Amino acid sequence: MTDYKSVKITKGRGGWGGPLTVTPTEKKPYIYSVTGGGIHPVAARIAELTGGTPFDGFKSSVPFDQIAVAVIDCGGTARVGVYPMKKVLTVDVHATSPAGPLANFITEQLFVSGVSPNEIEAQ
Amino acid sequence: MTATGEGLTTVCYASEITGVGSLVTGFVDDHGILVFFNEQAPAELQDISVFHRPSIERHGPVPGDVVEIGATSFPILAVGDVVERNLIDLGHIDFKANGKVTADLPGDVCVPEHALPQPEVGDAFRITRGGDPRAAPPAAASSAATPSGGEGT
Repeated sequence: MTDYKSVKITKGRGGWGGPLTVTPTEKKPYIYSVTGGGIHPVAARIAELTGGTPFDGFKSSVPFDQIAVAVIDCGGTARVGVYPMKKVLTVDVHATSPAGPLANFITEQLFVSGVSPNEIEAQ
Repeated sequence: MTATGEGLTTVCYASEITGVGSLVTGFVDDHGILVFFNEQAPAELQDISVFHRPSIERHGPVPGDVVEIGATSFPILAVGDVVERNLIDLGHIDFKANGKVTADLPGDVCVPEHALPQPEVGDAFRITRGGDPRAAPPAAASSAATPSGGEGT
């Protein structure tokens, strides 16, 4: 049995939303990196501090209900809304604000942006 | 290829559309937005995206390049800072038919209002440079005409 811990993720410079508290569980173990070039350092840091399982979304998919948090590097239109729409906690490494066709799904309770590894704090 | 006379066209990116998500029609009609991802993108992005299978992945777009989707073509007006990386890494690009000449968001590719077609499976998707002498600076159009790759094969 893995002993999961919580992290608090706050918005970075120019960012929006949050703070989010992320706590993986046995049923929601995945720190889901939907970013170019493998597991993003932000996802790696969250996984390191929480004991969650880093997962590269561009290699294969996991069901939404097993994702503790999705880490995206979205430029502001598409991925930025897809995970909040599914009620998945979402961290954008770019400093985006709600925009695009899915903007109404993006809330401060579900989404935080402009995040670097410095904005991730063990609880 | 379709280079006409001396107007040499460089193909920056070429792909074939292999899937069109259920929300794509509404994104185009209601928001003037068209989102592409390559087929490696996770399944949850399928609803909002056009999926495609690239064959040429040379460059990201610059203003003045021409986009072809099926029988429709339109110019690129503005390109955000992360567009090239998104396109080359993920096959990802966000077209916004807003007529703007500066990109509001780092992932935006701005094109003329109402320019976007409804893509269909099997359509070609290409970004080309230099076919129109007004469309790109001469330096970008490689006037030496010595293609080193084997794109025509």
